[in-house]
Amino acid sequence: MTTLDQHVGTRPIPNPKNSLITKLNAGTGLIVGIIFAAATYKGLSALVDTSIYHFQNQVLLATMFMWSIGFLVGIGAFIGPVRWLIGKDLTAEEQLYMAGDGQGIKRYFKYCTDHKVVGIQYLWGVIALLAVGGAMAMMIRTNLANPGGQFITPSVYNSLVGLHGITMIIAMIIVATGPFGNYIMPIMIGAADMAFPRLNALSWWVLFTAIPVLCSAWFLGGIPTGWTAYAPLSVQAGPGMNAFIATIIIFAVSTAVAGANITATVVAMRAKGMSWNRVPIFVIGATVSVALAIPAFPTFMLSMIMTAMDRSFLTGFFDANVGGTGWLYAHLFWIMGHPEVYVILIPGVAVLMEIVPVFVRKPLFSYTAAIVGFAGIAGLSVLVWAHHMYISGWMPMLNGPFMVTTEMISVPTGLIFLVILGTLWNGKPWLKVPMLSVYAFLWNMLIGGITGLYLSDVPADMYLHGSMYVTAHFHYTLMGAALTGAVAGLSYWYPKMTGHMLHERASYISFWLVQIGFQVLYLGMFIAGAEGQPRRVVDYAEQYATSNMVSTIGAYTIGIGFIVLLWAVIHSWRHGKIAPMNPWGAKSLEWTVPYPVPLVNFDTPPVVTSDPYGYGRSEK
Amino acid sequence: MSTDTKFHIHHDAPEVIGRRERLGVRLLIVADGAFVFGMIFSYFYLRNLDQNGGWIPKEGHTLSVSSGWMAILPLIVGAVVHKLAQRDPSHQGSFSLITLAAYLYGGYYQLHQLSTMPFIDGESGAFEGAYASCWTVIAAANMFHYILAAFIALGLVLRSRRATVDPVLETWRIRTAASWFTWVAVSGVACAITTSFI
Repeated sequence: MTTLDQHVGTRPIPNPKNSLITKLNAGTGLIVGIIFAAATYKGLSALVDTSIYHFQNQVLLATMFMWSIGFLVGIGAFIGPVRWLIGKDLTAEEQLYMAGDGQGIKRYFKYCTDHKVVGIQYLWGVIALLAVGGAMAMMIRTNLANPGGQFITPSVYNSLVGLHGITMIIAMIIVATGPFGNYIMPIMIGAADMAFPRLNALSWWVLFTAIPVLCSAWFLGGIPTGWTAYAPLSVQAGPGMNAFIATIIIFAVSTAVAGANITATVVAMRAKGMSWNRVPIFVIGATVSVALAIPAFPTFMLSMIMTAMDRSFLTGFFDANVGGTGWLYAHLFWIMGHPEVYVILIPGVAVLMEIVPVFVRKPLFSYTAAIVGFAGIAGLSVLVWAHHMYISGWMPMLNGPFMVTTEMISVPTGLIFLVILGTLWNGKPWLKVPMLSVYAFLWNMLIGGITGLYLSDVPADMYLHGSMYVTAHFHYTLMGAALTGAVAGLSYWYPKMTGHMLHERASYISFWLVQIGFQVLYLGMFIAGAEGQPRRVVDYAEQYATSNMVSTIGAYTIGIGFIVLLWAVIHSWRHGKIAPMNPWGAKSLEWTVPYPVPLVNFDTPPVVTSDPYGYGRSEK
Repeated sequence: MSTDTKFHIHHDAPEVIGRRERLGVRLLIVADGAFVFGMIFSYFYLRNLDQNGGWIPKEGHTLSVSSGWMAILPLIVGAVVHKLAQRDPSHQGSFSLITLAAYLYGGYYQLHQLSTMPFIDGESGAFEGAYASCWTVIAAANMFHYILAAFIALGLVLRSRRATVDPVLETWRIRTAASWFTWVAVSGVACAITTSFI
């Protein structure tokens, strides 16, 4: 079969003359976005009295949304839809141009539809978000190093806690499905691209527009609510809250688009012969995750729209004086909020399940059990939200049923454990950094899971709710398990994404610093929480001083570890050892293509004849 | 023939692309469905809670049940006309024009309702009662559905007048549009039923 890509070397670089696409990039996006935002702010400020609270909120929200829309106009996101509208579909040459064909590094700053470019854009977006969120975490821990810490003021501390939370949540939601779901996954299933390349670019650039909006919260007085943004506090909060609201609404759009795209790609574009029982487990995990996100995030978006309406148009969703209630917010938030935990967790775990068979040279133990585990977690995750509301006073009679559904989640989670342990059983592991992360995951998730059981128990939660114990628990699951999985994925797929091996010694140093620092940090936090230290407080009693100092030392150790990893990523990208095509000897499809991966991935569409975990089996 | 499929970067047949696009739209409908479910949940939650007797606005200013149905009637008309158009592709353009007109009228009607709603306090500008809040968010969602549906219908009208589109892919896109039109009609009916319980 002749593909377009085979002609790359012989045909001229696509340059569709007189096409607007060729003139647009992130720079024009910034300019148009700023013009839209400035015009909206100036225009609306002239129409309404911005000294009045709700008018000010209207103006700020409109400004933020118009920035996002303006940026997308300026970068060319709407060219496709407009051309469809007027019946002049994009030509083949224009599509090739949008795929970044022959444009080198410039394509990373354009509305590029190549899934590999989008994957790299997501990777750097995630790194930036983790860096910002991590820096905020270090400031929090610095302030908490000693009782009576005066490093930051209480209001700034409140904002730090909330913005650290939401920054990390956004980063963690995209940490695996963003870079690997876009770059690696289509190749893993033998596809030429994502199902909807333009939507793929849209999901990234929409998310990109949310980042400055979120950052603007600092300049608007911060947010006092924590990342959960409970009403009515969020309704009464200052102008910085508008940035939080706009960020979530924009992010929800990006998530829906990305979720539909990834799901459609896996359902409709698998290679010939790749039946469902031959799909790599990472692809299954990523698909379950985004499929869970599709129905989950719109309720969060709705809760934010309602908050915005209460703040800007004086509706009364959450105002008890006019028939509203804060409980409604808690429901809408946690109907999204708990599935969101698994939206984060499942892809990270799936990365590790992809890695284990490769590094022990054994087939994945009970592939079916792994899928049942993912499906069980996803199914139960929508039935547990009210365990976050045990002490809110809402329907105490339902606490028992929600405790049961929450504890039932440990069954499919146990299946996942068994699959990994069964694969490790009697294996001879190749102890590279990706494989070390598997052991780290087992340890961290065990602690995260067992401490979660205590929190799901109503009497225990009465005591532990709102304490540092909760903070330590969810960091063990989200950071100790999901982020560990994502970092393992980076080490594992780095050669395919960059053409270089990740600096090995620096990776080892980073791994041990992060994992040791992690145990130190959250061990201290568990002790402080179990003794009664509340979370989200700027100061604490003397009795918690030792455990907090221990935690801060752990946090700094983690911080140093991640700086080492960042150095390794940047250094190896340019100077790292050139990677062979299949450095790990893996059997999945992404290792059958060279670096740089061709525009349409495969010269000849692959035909799959076996599952990707056939290690140790005789070849037919 | 459009070059859209002749040199499509995926090399996929128009039928394959068409099916894929329909799947994508249906997945986005799932997301929109969750949003609509959230609105309906919120409406009944606040209605049944009736916190501090604050569900109904002061002086009982509510909209009639029929006004909710009138606002979504064009959504049903648009979906039905589009179904008829699928049976008679030779008059696709004319049918799409009727669909577009229905959505434009519906959008105008919904906008009119939003701008003349009777439950805003004249002095403070605040909404009176949780009913008013819930009704407004539902009406705004209907408005959003009208805008998107009108965009798609306008596209179908303009494209039916051009000879440069791939007929096979276009047939699939008309089917894909039907998925959206049917969904917005269903969601409109669900919202109208909801607002019938005042």
